[in-house]
Amino acid sequence: MRIDKGRDYILVIHFGLLFLGLASAASAGMKSLDDSELASVSGQSGITLEMDLGVTADKVTYYDDGKGIHLEGFRVGSASDPNGSAHHVVKVDIGADASLNLGYLVEDRRIEFGDIRLAGAPGLSMGGVFLDHSLEGYVNIKQGGATGGAGYTFDTAYTMTGGRLGYRTNGNEFFLDGITMDVEALGITLDVVGDTLKLGAPRIVGNWKVEAIRYSGNALNHGVSTDAGSGALLPSYGGISGEFDLSSNSDIRAGGREGEGLRFDSQTTIHSASFLYHDDANVLALRNITGYLNVQDLRLDVATDWNNRPALALTLGAMAGEFNVGTIEMGANNKSIGEVNANFLFQDHSYNGNSYTNAIYLQGGGHAEAGPQGMRLATEWSLANADISYTEDGNRVIFSGLQSWGRGDVVLNVTREEVRGGTQFFDGLRIGFENVTAGYRINGLKVGSDDAQLQGGTELLLALGFYPSYEFELDGHITLGAGGASGEGITVNSDIRIRNGKAAIIADAYDKGRGEISQKGLWISELEYDAHVRGMTIDATADGLEMVTAESWGTMDIGNLRVGDKSAGGSLGRFVVQSYELGSSMAILPGGAGDVCAGGAGTAQMVCEASGGIWETRGEEGVTVRLKQILARADGNKKNAFSWEANRELDSNGNPVNGTGASVLLNDIYTSDGGDFDGDGVDDNTFGIRTDLAVDVYQTKVVKKQDGPDLLGVVGAKGDEKIMDASAAQGYRYVSNPTQGDLANRPLGFAVKAQSQFKELSINNIDLIHPTGGAQTAVYGVMMQNFDIRANLTATPIP
Amino acid sequence: MSQRLLSLRNRLSFAFALSFLSLIAAAEMAPLEDDVLSDVSGQGGIYLSGDVSINALGGPVENSYFGSCDDVTRKCGARIAYRLKETGGWLVLDELRGGFAFEGLTLGMRTIDTGFGGDGALFNGDVLELGLPNIVRFDDVRFKIAASSTPRPTDLGFQQTDIFTVEMQGDVIMEGNLLVFPTGNP
Repeated sequence: MRIDKGRDYILVIHFGLLFLGLASAASAGMKSLDDSELASVSGQSGITLEMDLGVTADKVTYYDDGKGIHLEGFRVGSASDPNGSAHHVVKVDIGADASLNLGYLVEDRRIEFGDIRLAGAPGLSMGGVFLDHSLEGYVNIKQGGATGGAGYTFDTAYTMTGGRLGYRTNGNEFFLDGITMDVEALGITLDVVGDTLKLGAPRIVGNWKVEAIRYSGNALNHGVSTDAGSGALLPSYGGISGEFDLSSNSDIRAGGREGEGLRFDSQTTIHSASFLYHDDANVLALRNITGYLNVQDLRLDVATDWNNRPALALTLGAMAGEFNVGTIEMGANNKSIGEVNANFLFQDHSYNGNSYTNAIYLQGGGHAEAGPQGMRLATEWSLANADISYTEDGNRVIFSGLQSWGRGDVVLNVTREEVRGGTQFFDGLRIGFENVTAGYRINGLKVGSDDAQLQGGTELLLALGFYPSYEFELDGHITLGAGGASGEGITVNSDIRIRNGKAAIIADAYDKGRGEISQKGLWISELEYDAHVRGMTIDATADGLEMVTAESWGTMDIGNLRVGDKSAGGSLGRFVVQSYELGSSMAILPGGAGDVCAGGAGTAQMVCEASGGIWETRGEEGVTVRLKQILARADGNKKNAFSWEANRELDSNGNPVNGTGASVLLNDIYTSDGGDFDGDGVDDNTFGIRTDLAVDVYQTKVVKKQDGPDLLGVVGAKGDEKIMDASAAQGYRYVSNPTQGDLANRPLGFAVKAQSQFKELSINNIDLIHPTGGAQTAVYGVMMQNFDIRANLTATPIP
Repeated sequence: MSQRLLSLRNRLSFAFALSFLSLIAAAEMAPLEDDVLSDVSGQGGIYLSGDVSINALGGPVENSYFGSCDDVTRKCGARIAYRLKETGGWLVLDELRGGFAFEGLTLGMRTIDTGFGGDGALFNGDVLELGLPNIVRFDDVRFKIAASSTPRPTDLGFQQTDIFTVEMQGDVIMEGNLLVFPTGNP
């Protein structure tokens, strides 16, 4: 230690100490300055402290009611030199108003834990976490908080550069690289009121950027951007960046859900924010974000989960919030697909007679075969209510009354491609699901405004790839690898198994205002679903978002297709759908159909109307989905096939037994280009089934189909048009001869402009299968050629 | 996301299968009188309108047989071939093209617990309801029935005998509802 007296006080402290035991011992070598000492330096220009800090500790432990969590392999030192120290410069100054000014510079610092374990489960480890950064900033501390003289007020601002935040298991790393951040928070207040520490932040503004999210499967790499062997940049998932302007108030109290622990409550308002995903030169942007988030009664304990496993427990009383994304932009021209709003409430609730809460129990141990390190999040959630709306070109549709619940283990590992213990792993961040029982459901649709009448029509979500209601038991994984089809991006490999699934194709409301009722619908019930994806790349491109799948296959075994109740409704039989695709792709593009001639032909309004069509200007926003499905020929058990089985025998419980009935099988369905044009002896299969779906929220023409009152008692004549009218009792009326004003108030729905093409689609054979007589081929081949199907469809929810 | 993508693809396949199912189920259906319809109570659903065209400008195949509709030397319609014997010839629906439009096809659920001459009370369950559009307009829908020696018209030794041609133009009135009852042993 060296102390030089002069204009400034300079302290240079060389820490080369290895601490064994609690990190608090690290403070033993430092002396704090008490008030009298600080007072003695008042009027001078300040003190400058320079430190080269290197701290290690075998273990740092937090105890709660006698139960501990160990942070092992703790180190503070240089980020670039594993044996080096981090350079710190702190300038201490006392202002004329008796405020304390701390200016600081931190260079090349790494803070890390090599492993994290629960004392109650010492054999399970969570893996390591590290944070690299250089910081330059200041803190100004004044006496007097928000409630009076006993508290403090802070002004602070800092710039972080060279940041790196990583997670490491079994020698593999997933980390945010090249983090930069500018933050300014003025007028932060800190008060103690009763038993509560109150932290108020009237305004926090800043911006941040993560240059790349990287993956390393080389155990020799630790917290570096380039591979230790090849020197090449590690593969990247892409970068992210954003800006924010927030204010928040937080309360912190002692006391966990049980005995010792912490309680946290907060209210945060998002005045403005943005979030951008960068993939090479392309950007997917969420802009003009506003909203709020209120957290109530969040508790931190070292406790046990529902299976009595030791864990760091985060349990929640309630969380309510709203996020509004003003515009979602993608593609080279920053074209918008529209605006999305979501408000939500997480709190304890009962679904189908079962109660759920919100909690995460953090534990060591990921997938059993992935290695000793990994993270297990025993998770339970209860989304009691959410409304999600989509607005494009001023037209708004609200998916109302979304509920979701679930319970099970989510396991995280950073893995590399290898087979361990008979399990195939892939390069990337592996998100595993073990014994997850979950579900979601939507009550109905509202169009126009939040107070509009609840309507049916949630099945419109099928066009976007979602069931309106879905309950399932889930096992499997999704592994997110770094690198897309070219350069940055994401590569997905997944194996998913769903058991006892119940998915709605058509779903009525689960609550019509008098409490939970049986949700009527057309249900895929007793679903067993195995789905596998290999090498699916996801990239932001100049056009939008593109996903290309090297190989996918799966079997969807629907035990019963039920009408009415999902468990007790009448069954139409068993359906089995097998899929096998090679080289299929999906692109999501901004912008819908634009100008459309519905029911006629022509690219100009006059031509269209002359042909009997209706000219529709569907605007700039909207979304287009472009699908290419390459159905491959059968390869062993992988194939495209469809079967329907009925008249099955019943077991002693009255349940049909699969395989005992008669069935029809469409076997080995595949696409082709219609010949072997490349001369490899096999028919080419590159065109597949190509489908473009341009989806807009748009006004649609709805005509009454019968004379008299409809289901809601609104009277009209057959052929009358439905016109929305807020002053009418049910929010609409029927009009025989609508005026131009009436036509401007046609109901909103989804307008879809579709085109589907294929060169050749074949079915190898169609068999009729008798349970004892076996299979008899009824059709020895079907070949469909040269199809181009175009459609303009409007789908409108009805009460 | 990969899961969602797979689900979407399977759902498209499933929609195709469902269409097939409804054709089979419709074979057992009987028309309902208005007084019978008054005995059903409905839930929400969707109302569909639109127009669909097949090969209005031609298909995606360009070869010695298929081509653009502007090329009078080529066929621009779609083609479906199937065979009922393992070594037999192919029955063909050829030069399929045209369009149709409809307004007010509804899809929803119904509960039936009365009516139907007492059968409704016995059934006391839910059915799938397809509300038929009042009018379906066919616009120059045409196809040709033929017999062919090969499934592809470009295959070696291709020979085809055209049997007859169908053309459809005008309106088809389709009133009422199609109710799909889940009955029988599944």
